[in-house]
Parts: sequence; structure tokens; C-alpha cells
Amino acid sequence: MRERLATAAYVLRANPVSLAALALLALLFGAALFGPALAPYDPLATNTSLALRPPSAAHWFGTDQLGRDVFSRVVVATRLDLAIAFAAVALSLAIGAAIGAATGYFGGFADAAVGRVVDVLMAFPLFVLAMAMVAALGNSVSSVVIATAVINLPFYIRLARAETQMRRHLGYVEAARVGGSGHLRILRVFLLPNIAPPLIVQASLNLGWAVLNAAGLSFIGLGVRAPTPEWGIMVAEGAQFIISGRWWLSVFPGLALMIAVFAFNLLGDALRDIVDPRSRT
Amino acid sequence: MRRRDFMALMGGTAAMGVLPARFGQAQTRAESLRILSEAGPNSLDIIGVGVNRNSIQATWNVYDRLVRFTSKPGPGGTLYYDYFALEGELAERWQVSDDKRSITFHLRRNAVFHDGSPVTAEDVKWSLDRVVSLPVGKPQFATGSMTDPAQFEIIDAHTIKVTTPKPDRLTLPNLALTYPVIYNSKVAKQNATAQDPWAAEWLKSNVAGGGPFKLDSFQPGQSLQLSRNDAWTNGPLPGYRRILWQFVPAAQSRRSSLERGDADIVQDVPPVDAVSLSKDDKLKVVGVPMAGAFQFIGMNNAIKPFDNVKVRQAIAYTLPYKQMFEAALFGRGRPLFGGKPGAPETTEFPQPLGYDTDLDKAKALLAEAGLAGGFETTFTFELSMATIAEPLSLLVQEALGKIGVKVTIVKAPAGQLGTMLQKKEVPFFFEASAAYLADPDYFFRIFYHGPTRWNFGSYSNAEFAGLVDKTRYEPDQAVYEKDVRRMIHLAKDEVPIILLWQPTLDTGMQKSVDGYKYQFHRQLELRTLKRV
Amino acid sequence: MNVLLRRLLGVVPTLAGVVVATFVLTRILPGDPAVFFTSSPSADAATIEAVRQKLGLDQPLWRQFVIYVGALLRGDLGQSITTGQPVLTDLLQRLPASAELTIVAFALAVAVAIPLGVAAALRPGSLVDHLCRLIATAGVSLPTFVTGLLLIYLFYYLAGVAPEPMGRLDPFATAPPRLTGFLLIDALAARNGEVFVSAARQLILPAATMAIFALAPLARMTRAAMIASLGSDFVRTARANGLKWRTIVVTYALRNALLPIITTLGMVFSYMLGANVLVERVFAWPGIGSYALDALIGLDYAPVQGFMLAMAAIFVAINLIVDIAYSIADPRTGLFGHA
Repeated sequence: MRERLATAAYVLRANPVSLAALALLALLFGAALFGPALAPYDPLATNTSLALRPPSAAHWFGTDQLGRDVFSRVVVATRLDLAIAFAAVALSLAIGAAIGAATGYFGGFADAAVGRVVDVLMAFPLFVLAMAMVAALGNSVSSVVIATAVINLPFYIRLARAETQMRRHLGYVEAARVGGSGHLRILRVFLLPNIAPPLIVQASLNLGWAVLNAAGLSFIGLGVRAPTPEWGIMVAEGAQFIISGRWWLSVFPGLALMIAVFAFNLLGDALRDIVDPRSRT
Repeated sequence: MRRRDFMALMGGTAAMGVLPARFGQAQTRAESLRILSEAGPNSLDIIGVGVNRNSIQATWNVYDRLVRFTSKPGPGGTLYYDYFALEGELAERWQVSDDKRSITFHLRRNAVFHDGSPVTAEDVKWSLDRVVSLPVGKPQFATGSMTDPAQFEIIDAHTIKVTTPKPDRLTLPNLALTYPVIYNSKVAKQNATAQDPWAAEWLKSNVAGGGPFKLDSFQPGQSLQLSRNDAWTNGPLPGYRRILWQFVPAAQSRRSSLERGDADIVQDVPPVDAVSLSKDDKLKVVGVPMAGAFQFIGMNNAIKPFDNVKVRQAIAYTLPYKQMFEAALFGRGRPLFGGKPGAPETTEFPQPLGYDTDLDKAKALLAEAGLAGGFETTFTFELSMATIAEPLSLLVQEALGKIGVKVTIVKAPAGQLGTMLQKKEVPFFFEASAAYLADPDYFFRIFYHGPTRWNFGSYSNAEFAGLVDKTRYEPDQAVYEKDVRRMIHLAKDEVPIILLWQPTLDTGMQKSVDGYKYQFHRQLELRTLKRV
Repeated sequence: MNVLLRRLLGVVPTLAGVVVATFVLTRILPGDPAVFFTSSPSADAATIEAVRQKLGLDQPLWRQFVIYVGALLRGDLGQSITTGQPVLTDLLQRLPASAELTIVAFALAVAVAIPLGVAAALRPGSLVDHLCRLIATAGVSLPTFVTGLLLIYLFYYLAGVAPEPMGRLDPFATAPPRLTGFLLIDALAARNGEVFVSAARQLILPAATMAIFALAPLARMTRAAMIASLGSDFVRTARANGLKWRTIVVTYALRNALLPIITTLGMVFSYMLGANVLVERVFAWPGIGSYALDALIGLDYAPVQGFMLAMAAIFVAINLIVDIAYSIADPRTGLFGHA
């Protein structure tokens, strides 16, 4: 562990970009935790007499077609967008690791069957599959979480399966088996902790993608309900105004989205460097 | 087929390849009309499952009916269909029997189909039989007491009699609607099969009619071309020889092509564009409040708390109508809010229900209903109406918050909302609909009565239901009007649904286009259009 | 060839799985098509039942499935109710629009990403390398719908150099006679320079939008593969033997780096084809993505099923092509059985 921390310190020092990522993440989590307190206006309050004002001292990011403050909405939206991404990734990580590790360890028919299902899932156009799932499950935040988790699942299953297969005949596993440990115990105590690092790296790389996916779903009108502030919806609502030059409606939430994804991707890279220094790219 | 191919067809333009497009256009402009709409027909058979409104525009102009609505003056020198004055189209004249149960139609002797064969009573019978034999057509004809082919009886080659079990004032207008087009039955039968006796498959993409226009070509998703049927004698010959109708999904593109003078008529103009286009002096925008069409806030009267009339009234007094009207439609429409409460002044419906924003009254009513603390509910609207419904629902949410009603907004795709309405699962929602026939009892029968999803409020009131049944066949006009007034009074007092407004149908056109006629189906009538 | 055949057969269960999954997915969509398509206010419950029968939805699910699979085996993807056309016709009409966009975007991405990745790998730690790293991370952080809108704002609204972001062609330009459905190719075939330019202008912004997104993984993978390959023994040997640097880089290093790059290319391409929906929405592009979305919302089952199946088939085909390309680049994989 100490070694890892040392690597972490080294990676951060050697790579100022990772430091920047940490700063961005701090900003995001700050907005997510304290967003409603930080927002200068009620993100839902409409004021049609102030509609479509460009950015000004009073409204830093301007106002939208109903006179709502874009800055407040962008800040408040952080919590929901991050929550969706974390929930989806955690869900696919947990389920994917369990299924992948089990099939990788036991092999046999279940392994083959799961492999087939994964093949089928991967053959779908993933974003459209997510659309269809949200449509089928009903427009709600939980549907977006589930859909995002499901389309990510194959990657975790494959990774966990490969990592487990690689280790299941290693000395310490064999030793545990000879020592009388049951399969479940072996999986839980010996295998899962060892396959966790690559999975966590995968998850961190996946977070940004999950944010994009959720926002994309909202952008096409599936998912989060109006008037809840959410970046994807805000970009979508502003899209019709861009052609007439009202850029602030969609550019600011779009920027927030980019910053979030960017920060998560940098975080993922940094984590990978720490966990597996050889794969630095 | 796009513009250049189109002009190559028009003769005298064979050497045009080297000339700029606009030059060629000037030569044929006077005779041809270029229409742009958002989407095109998805079928040329109007009686089918899922047939869209653009199909009406196609079939309306290539087929004739027995009778048609005459015109009366509309806004800005345009024409407006006159629901209460019909004239013959394929029928030269008709007479109603003394017991008012049957109508005998005498066909025009010189009427012919596009292939030159004469229009006979047999064709008319086949066409009317077809309406009542197909599942989609039957319920519409049933509103005019026509349900059985035996009701259509051939007297001789040019005479046909329609008999109904009871005298029904809706029989004749039903024959002027979109379904009872008259087919060339010989041609259609040749293309029928044992599984498909009504040639539905073939008529989807082919025309067997005798209307004022012939179908030249139809490229689904792209364009449709018509040319005038010069042998048409069932009315004044249309002003344009050729019609090029293209489907351009983006409103912005339709608009800019109208502004550049490339298009003659642009349909489906969004409210915001209608406002700005009408300021352009080179163009005109005809905005007609759509008869029979209405947008409204629905409340499910069968479930709490909307079963309480006081709650419904409280909501009707809360809504910020004027802001909603501006935000949703930029004021393009005829308000159904405001007006005087109580006894109605006319028998026309929809009409304003007599509610205006009055928060004190609303709070008092809610307190009387025992809900002074408010309640929670959801407000649903359909995804495809988002440009109108989104700002509107936010205003509804905000306003109701002021009387303590907490509203969660739900967006549902059209298919879902329809099903939920059918199952009567939606408590509170925004929707829009329209009735073709202008009789107020017809309106109430569909939208305020019965178990269908069209009874949007799930309204059930014994007196009202009794009046709906009573007015159906009421022969005495005075009694009818008295009953209708009572129904309107109830609709205003009990507000099963809150009518908001009748939206405007906005059509943009060049100044040179004249003779625009607003039809009940809201699609273009090409018979009357001409160039000035 | 045996291996190839077995590989082809292995595709069948995957496609069968897709068929079953899409069928189930459409049937659990909330909403009843019979109600939805019975849109006339005069309709009553009996009409809805009649319509249900007409749509074949009155049958038990297993029979619907049998009928669907039967039609599928005859090459019939069913009818779209919304467009009134056979689904196959619709797909063939719209697929070229999506494919043209994807291919151009893909070519753009490859043209930038591979040289960039190679340059970064040749000088690790240099300015080019940092640039590559930044582009690779920033590129995937850009949601395509935001990039698209930004490009529209910059190049259409502010600079006025791009055409209106609506569709594949100026709506009033004449489309060339349809040969392939790829407007650029059809315009060339018709020797119509004007249309070619118009189509290319419409294409640039959406293609750039997609390319920016696709660039990142390609550049990253090229760089990684090149670094690995440059550090390998045979490159060192080649250098020791005094071969020209250029020859080493192009002939030895790049060739060996190709394998992972090809895999990434395949993945990126099929991902792009599926994720088109968002870009198609932003640019009003008449492709299959927006077709599927409309069908999904409009409860039109056949197009949704047809689209999913077509996309899965394309995905599988691309994987196969990648495998073949793989075995050409590296005969040891032995897809052609001469290992």
C-alpha cells in the first residue's frame, strides 16, 4: 500500500495534468455537495420578462427562454449528473465483477452461456440499446442508471473473467484450495481483491463515459424529467437557439459536461498509471 | 424527383440544362405551384391504420366525394369552409325523403374517372361499402348512422340512396369528410385479392379516382407531384396545372425557401415563425384559428382529488392563461379562457369557459374542498409537443405551487400517453385534439362522454350524459339548442377539462397565391388555389 | 478457409440472440400500438381491437415471434407504419446517409490520429507527445452533441462559412440520380461538380464533430502500439544493422503496431455507426439513427427491430473484416488456414 501511495505521489508530481484533474474534481464535488447553496438563484424559478438575456454581472451565464438563471441551473445540475454516473458505474462494476469472476473461476456451461449473452449485448449499437431500454423502462433517472449500467456490463464481465482465469491456477489459489477453502471463500478472499485494481481503473475510465451517455439520453428527450436541471437537457433546450446566436443556453452546460468528463478521464489515466505503471501511455 | 427533373417534364425546357435554374422557373411559374410541408403522406389510401394527416392532403385532391362544404369568407380575403352549407361534388343534386331517413343522390352524368370511364352508382356504392367494411372507417361513418352496406342502395346507374334507421343530421356532413372518397371500383377490384377484397394494399400506393388532380409521381419521404385533370367538370377548374409538393422536415429550411421565393406555399409554420414572417411585406401568412381543434388541460374526474368540482375550478382559476398563451403559442390562436361564466351566449362549442387567473378565488375553492394545504400530482405531456408543452407545463407547475399544489412534470412519448389515457391512468395532463364536425353535440359526445380515451376528463354526469343521448337525434331545432346550451353551461361550471385555446393554423405563401381555403381537415385545398 | 467458415457460423447465434432480444425489447415498450395508431376520435374499443388484429398484435407473443422470424427468413423485415414503406426500403434509403457520414468522419479521424500517434511515439515527452495526450483526453471528453452545436455556432452563425446545418444537401439543390445513395459518389458519377460541393459542404461539420470524438482512442492506441513496437528487439536489431530510420519506422515498427490499431479501428467504426443518433439529431441528418429513434418513440416495432438487426449484422461484419485484416497483417493468426 505504501508503495502505491509513493507511486501516486510520484505520478502527481511528474504529471501536473493529474494535479489539474484533482483540482477540477474538487470543483465538481464541491458543486455537487453544495450546489443548491451556491446557486445565486432558484434554478426552477421562471421570469418570462427576463428571458434569453446574454451573460451579465447579474446572470453570469445568461438566462434561458423562461428567464431561469443558467448559472444556477448548471451548478445545481452537477449533483444529479454525477450521481447518475456513479450509480451506473458502481452497479455495472458490482454485477460485472461478480458474474465475470464466477464464470472465469468455474468455467463450464455457465461460462459459455454468459459469454454468448455478452457477445449479443456487444453486437447491439450500444447507445440505441440504451435508448430502447430507457423507453421500455419509462422516463426516469433510475432507468437511465440501469440502461447505462447494462450497456457497460459486458466490459466488466470480460475484464473480471480474464483476470480471474489468469489467476485461478496461480500458486496461492491452489494453496488455498489444498488448504480446504471453499470456492466462495477463494473467490471472495483471494481472487476478488486481486482483480479489483484493474476493475477500478476500468470504472474510473468509465465514469466520464457514463456522464456522456446519461447526458446524451437526456439530450434526445429520454431520461431525466424537465424542469430538473440536467446538463444534457439544458444543452438540448438551448440547441434550438444556437442557430439564432443564443449560444449561452447550451454552451455553458456543455462546458460543464466537458469539464466533468475531462476530469474523470484524467483521473482514470492517473489511476491506471498508479495501479499499472507499465501501461502508461 | 427534384426541381430540375420536375421542370424537364414541363415541356419547352429541354435545352435548359445550361440556363440558370431561376430563368427556367420564370417560364413555368404561373402554372405550377410548389408546396413545402414538414412530412409527406405515408399512404394514398386514407382509410388505413396509422395513416397520417399529410395523406389527407394527397387523397383530398385526387379524389372526389359525393358532396362538399361550400366556402364563406375567411380572414384576410381567404376562404373558410361552411359547415352548414353543402353542395354537390359528384352528386349533381340530392333529395331527402319525407321521413328524413333517406337521401337520394343523383350523380353528374358527365363525371368521369381519370381513366375516362364514367362514374356510376356502382362505384359510389363500392366506395361507401368500403368505408363501413374497414375497421378504421366504420366508427366514423357510425357517427352518421351508417354501419351496414345494405344502407347504400343503387337505384339506377346514376342514382344511389342512403338510408339510416333514424333521421340523422350528421349523415350528410359525414359524406363530405375525408373517408368517403369515390373510387373507380372497376380498377380497384382488379387489384383486390381474396385476402384483401378492398384493395387496401394496392390503393396504398396507387390512385383510382376522378378528382381535380392526377397523381404523376410519389417518392415517399421526398416529394409528390400532381397535374391538373383537365377533364374535371365537378367544379371550377383549379388555377394551377402542376403541383410539386416536397417534404422538408426542418422548419428553418421551409422558411428560408419561402423567403427566397423558391417555394409558393409553406405549411406547418411554427408560431414563432408566423409572428416574424408576417412582418415581411413580400409574403403573407394566413393564420386561421382551427375550427374544432383545441388544446386543453385534462383532469381525470374519476380519481381524487379531481373528482371534486371545486378542485377543478380552483385549478381553472389558478392557471396563468395569458402567460401560457404567449409562451406556448406566441399568441397565435383563439383564446378559450376568459369570457363570462354561467349561461352561454351562443350554441357554438368550443367557446371560452369563463375562467381567468384569480388566485384568491382558487385558494378559497381549494379550502372549501378540504384541501387548503394543497396536494401532490403529476402533470403529463407528450414528447412531440414539447416546444409548446414544455414552457406551458413549467408555468402550470409554478402557478399551482402558489396554491400549494405540488406538480411533478412527466414527459411521455405519444404512444405511451395514448395508452395511459386509454386506461384512464393519467391524473392531470396537457393534450390537444380536434373534431371534424362542428355540431356541438358531436363534440360533447366524443370529448365529454363515454368510456373512450377521448373523454379526456373521464367526465360522467347523469344529466349531461342524458342530454348527449337526447340531442343525438333531436329533430326540433329549438329544443336542440336549448339542450346544447344546458350542456355548455355544465361544461363551463363543472370544467371536466380546462379548454385553453384553439391554435392557429399558419400557412405562409407568396403574395401571388390566391384562393386559399381553410378546410376542416386543415390540409391544403388545391381546388380553389390560383395565381394572381 | 475452414477457419473462416467456422468463424462465419459462429456469428449465427449472436445474430439470433439479437433477434430475440430486440423482439422482447419492443414488446415491453410501454404503450399499445393498437391504441396509438387508432387515432381517430370516433374510434371505440371495437376499432382498437380490429386494428390490433390488423397489426397482428392480437396473437400470443410466441406466435408473433414465429411469424416475425418466418418473415425474416424470407428477407422481409416488415412494414413501417409511420412511413408506410417496407422497413428494408427505408433502411436502404437511409443507410447510405449514415454510412457516408461515418466513413468520411472515420477517414478524417484516421488521417489525423495515426500520424499524430506515430509522431508522439517517436519523441515521447516532446511537445507533440503532450499535444497528442491532450487531444486524446480532451477529444473523448467532448459530447458529440455539444461539439456539433459549438461548430454550428462558430462556423454557421459567427463566421457564416458553413451552410445551414440541415440535412445532406441544400434542400433546393437537385439530388444526383441515385446509384449508391452516397451523394458524393453519385455527384461524381453524374459529373455534377456543384452538387458535389454542396454535399461536401453539408458533410464537413457533422463529419468533423464525429471525427473529433473518434480521433482520441485512435491516437492513443497508435502511440502506445508504436512505443511498444519501437522498443522491441527486432527494431533494435534493425537499428544495429544500420537500416535507415525511415525504413525501420515504416516497415518494421508501424507494421507491427498495426495489429492493435486495426482492432481499435474496428471498434471505433462500429461504435460511430451506432452512436450516430446524436449527431444526426443535431444536424437534421436523414440517417438510420434518427429513423430508429422516431420509430422507438412512435411504437413502430418493425423499424426498431430491423434497425437493431441491421446494426448488429454490420457490427459482426466489421469484426470479421478486422479479423481478416488481422490475419493479413499477421499471418500467424491463421484465419486462412495456412499457419
